[in-house]
Amino acid sequence: MEKTTVVVIGGGATGLGILRDLSMRGVKALLVEKNDLVNGASSRYHGLLHSGGRYAVKDQEAAKECIIENQIMRKIGKSCVEPCGGMFTRLDIDDPAYEELWVKGCADSGIEATPITLDEAFRLEPRLSRKHVKSAYLVPDAAVDGFRMAWQLIDSSKRYGGQLKTYTEVIGFDTVNGELRGVKVRNQFTGEEYEIGCDIAVNAAGGWAGFVGKLAGVEIGVQPDKGTLIAFNQRIVNHVVNRLHKSSDGDIFVPHGSITILGTSSMSVPDPEDTSTSRAEVESLIKIGEQTFEDLRDFRILRTFAGSRPLYIPPGGAVGRSASRGFAIVDHEQDGLKGLFTIVGGKFTTYRLMAEKMCDQICAKLGNNTPCRTADEPLVEEVSQADKDRARKFFPSYGTNLAATRLGVDRFKKVVERLEADPESRELVCECENVTRAEVEEICKDDTSFIVNDVRRRTRIGMGTCQGNFCALRAAALFAELGTEPSAKDSLARMKEFLQGRWKGIRPVLLGRTLRETEMTRSIYELSMNVTGGDAR
Amino acid sequence: MSDTKAIFTGDRCLSCTSCMANCPVMAAIKDYRGPKLVGPAHGRMHFSQEDVEESLNYCSNCKSCDRACPSGVAVSTLNMLQRAEYYKNHPHLRSEDMLAHGERMANLIRKIPFGATFSNLGMSIGKALGVFSALGIAGERNMPAYAATPFKDAFSSIKQTSSAKKVVLFTGCFINDNEPQVGNAFVKVMNANGYEVLIDRRFKCCGSPLVVTGFLDEAHQHADNNVARILDWKRQGIPVVTPCTSCSLMLKEEYHELFGDDKFHEAATNVYDAFEFLEMLQEHGEFNDNFKTLNQRLLYHVPCHLKSQAIGLPAQDILEEAGAKVNLADAGCCGISGNYGFRKDKYEISMKIGAKLFERVKQHDFDKVICDCGTCRMQIHHGTDIKPVHPIEILAQAY
Repeated sequence: MEKTTVVVIGGGATGLGILRDLSMRGVKALLVEKNDLVNGASSRYHGLLHSGGRYAVKDQEAAKECIIENQIMRKIGKSCVEPCGGMFTRLDIDDPAYEELWVKGCADSGIEATPITLDEAFRLEPRLSRKHVKSAYLVPDAAVDGFRMAWQLIDSSKRYGGQLKTYTEVIGFDTVNGELRGVKVRNQFTGEEYEIGCDIAVNAAGGWAGFVGKLAGVEIGVQPDKGTLIAFNQRIVNHVVNRLHKSSDGDIFVPHGSITILGTSSMSVPDPEDTSTSRAEVESLIKIGEQTFEDLRDFRILRTFAGSRPLYIPPGGAVGRSASRGFAIVDHEQDGLKGLFTIVGGKFTTYRLMAEKMCDQICAKLGNNTPCRTADEPLVEEVSQADKDRARKFFPSYGTNLAATRLGVDRFKKVVERLEADPESRELVCECENVTRAEVEEICKDDTSFIVNDVRRRTRIGMGTCQGNFCALRAAALFAELGTEPSAKDSLARMKEFLQGRWKGIRPVLLGRTLRETEMTRSIYELSMNVTGGDAR
Repeated sequence: MSDTKAIFTGDRCLSCTSCMANCPVMAAIKDYRGPKLVGPAHGRMHFSQEDVEESLNYCSNCKSCDRACPSGVAVSTLNMLQRAEYYKNHPHLRSEDMLAHGERMANLIRKIPFGATFSNLGMSIGKALGVFSALGIAGERNMPAYAATPFKDAFSSIKQTSSAKKVVLFTGCFINDNEPQVGNAFVKVMNANGYEVLIDRRFKCCGSPLVVTGFLDEAHQHADNNVARILDWKRQGIPVVTPCTSCSLMLKEEYHELFGDDKFHEAATNVYDAFEFLEMLQEHGEFNDNFKTLNQRLLYHVPCHLKSQAIGLPAQDILEEAGAKVNLADAGCCGISGNYGFRKDKYEISMKIGAKLFERVKQHDFDKVICDCGTCRMQIHHGTDIKPVHPIEILAQAY
C-alpha cells in the first residue's frame, strides 16, 4: 500500500498551501484532488488579492490578515500576482457616512488608503462614470491568477518532496479503534479504488468539506455560497475597482490578464458542484456594474462562471454575506477520530496563513518543531530578465513574460530550446492569448494533463476572444499526439469536451457579438467539420 | 460600441481571420503576422510587457482588412496607432522622413527659382547615381516629377464664371505638386455643372503619408487644421470635394478613427469624393448630362481607398452614362499604398502584390486605364509602361 505521513484532501488554495507548508517543514505529504487543481472557489472567483479594504468596516480582524498576506504574496508570488493596485470609489447613491467609517477602518487595520482627486481618478480609470463617482481612494489591492498560483505551489511542494494526485476522489477513511490508518480513493478515469496509508488526513475540500466529513462520520458546518462572475473581453480597468459602500453584489472589477472580471452575486446553494449561471444573474450584475462604468454594456462579454465560497457556519451561525469570512480548524479527535482535521472557511487572500495555522497543529501532533517558512521563500524562481530577453525573438510579441511566468524556469528553458530548434513550434495554437505550439506541447506532455481543459488552465488556450473557436482543434490534435493518457487519443471526444466546457459559460450570455462568435464556432465545427456526424439529409 | 475610435473597435473582433485571408501583404510575404494578430489580438495583450510587433512594419495600410472585417473593426488604423507607438521610442529612417513629408519637400523646392526643373533633373540624376537607394528609397522607381507650376499657383489664372453654387477643391499634395491637370479637369467638370470652384490655401496635406510612417502627432496637427477649415466651409454651406481618394478617406474616416473627436465626425459630413459629389448631383437631377459622347474603352483599377469609402463606383456609373465602356480590372490591390512601395525594403513586396494587376493591364484591350488614386497610377505606369489617367480627366473630355 502506498504510504505517506499526511494526506491533504482538496486541491484548492488552502490544500495546496498546506501541501507546500508541510513539505517545506520536511513532513511527507500527498495531496489528492477529485478534479483538476483549483476546480472550486480558488479559480471560480475574482482573482483579487485583497488589500483588506473590503473588510475594513465589518471585520477588521480579516482586514488586518488580508493586508499582511497581501504584502507576503506580492513578495513570494511575483509570477502569479499582478500588482495593479486598487481603487475604491463612492458613487452619488452610496452613503457618505460609510466612507468615513471606511477611512477610519483602513487606518485602524493598517491599510494605506490614499484619497485622490476625481481628476486623478478619471485619469487613472478613464471609463469611470463622471456622473456618479463622488470620491476615490487608492489601496494596495492586486490581481492574482489562481491557476498559475496553484501550479507554482505544486512546483514549490515538489521541490521538497510533496506529491500530487489529481482526478483522485476520496471515497472513505480507514480507521482502527478511532484512529486513522488511511484514506480510500478512486481514480476518476480508470475507476480503480485503492488506499493511501497515512497518519493524518486534512479535509481541505472547501465547499465539499461537508461531504468529506460525512465519509468519516463527522458533521462539518459549511455552506456553499454561490457567486456568479462575468468575464469581459478587454481590460476595462487598470486597477481593481471597488465600490465604496457596504459590501454587496457586483461591486468589484478586477483586471485579470487580458480580461476584466466583474462580480459577484451571493446565493446559498445545496451543492458546491452547482456552477450554473443564468441570464438573470448576468443582467443583475451588469445593472450594478454600469453604475460605476456607464458604458459597460458596450463591452463584449466573453463568458460567465460561478463558484461557491465555502462559508463556515458554526452551530447557529449566520449565512450569506453576513457569515464570517474567518476560518476554522477542527481536530476531529474531539469527535472520536484521531488523525483527521478539517479546515474550512476563510478567503483566498489568506490561504497561506490558514495553511500555516493548520500545519502548526499537524506538526505539533507529529512532534515536528520546524518553523513555517512559507512567507519567506518565493513560490518559484523567476525567469531572469536576461533569459527572457534572449528568448524574446522566438516568442510572439507581448508573449515572453506571460509564458515565462506560466512555465517557470525549467519548463521555460525547454520551451525556448524547442522554439529555437523548430521554427514551426513558434506558431500560435491560441491566437487570442498568444500561446505558442511549443508551450502547448510542453504542457500536453505533462503527466498531470488528463484532458484538454487541464492544458487550457495552464496555458490559457481557449480563454481569449474566440473562446476555443480556433484552438480547440489544434489543441486536441497536439494532445492526441503527446498526451500520456490513453484517452488523449480520442481526439474528437477531447475536442468536444473542451468546446462544451467553453460553451457552458457562453450560453447565458449568447447575445450581441458573443452570439455571432458562437455561431461562427458552430458553423466551423458542426457544418464545415461535421463533428456531430449529422446526416446531410 | 458606439465610439468609432479605432481602439474601441478592437473589442468587436471575433477572431474570424477574414482580415488575414484578405490581406495582400500576407499573401506576398509570410513574415507579416497579419492584421488580426497585430491590431485586435495584440491590443488585448499590451498589458503584459513593453514590446513591439516588428512585422507591423509590413502593413501597407491598404485597408483590405477593414473591408473584409464583418464586425466593423478598424484593423488597419489599429495598426497605424501601434506603428506610432513604435516610433515613440525608435528613430525614423531618413527615407521615412522624406516620404512622409512630400508637401514640405515640394514647398522647399518651390522657393528656389526653377526649383521644380532642377529637382526633376536632380531626381533623374540622383536615381542614376543610386542616391535614392542609399537613402532607403527604392532605386527602381521614378520619383513623381514636379509640375512646373503647382496647381494652387496656377489656379487664379483659370477663368471661371462666378456662381452661387460653390465647392472647395481639396487638391491634395499629388494633384497640387505633380499632376495639376487633374485639378484643371475637375474645375472644368464642376464649371460645366454650374459650380464655381474655390481653393483654400490654408489646407495642409491630409496627413495620410504621415500616418503610415508613424508621424502621428504631426498628422493630428494637420487633422485639426484641416477640420477647422472644413467646418468653416460647412458653416458657409460650401462642400469640400477632392478627386484624391486617399485624401477623402483620410478626411472622412481615418481622422475620427485615429483621433476620435466628435468634430471629425461632423467635418466628415462636408467632404465628398469628386465622383461621389457628381453622382449626388445626378440623384438630385442637377447633373449636366449634355455630353459629347465618350467613345472609349476604359479599364478601371478601383483604388483600395475608394473601396473603403463604401460609396460604390460613382466614376464608373458616370463615365458609362457618358458613353464610355468601363471594365473593372478586378485584380486586387496595386501594391503601392501611398509611399509604401517607394521604400527600398518594400519595393519587392509592392511589385509582387501588383503583379496580378500588371498582368491584367498588359492585356491592353482598352483605350485608357483609369484610376482615381495618384500613387496607384504611378504603380501601374511603373509596372506596365502604360500611363493611366484620373477618371475626371476623361469626363472633362465629354464637356
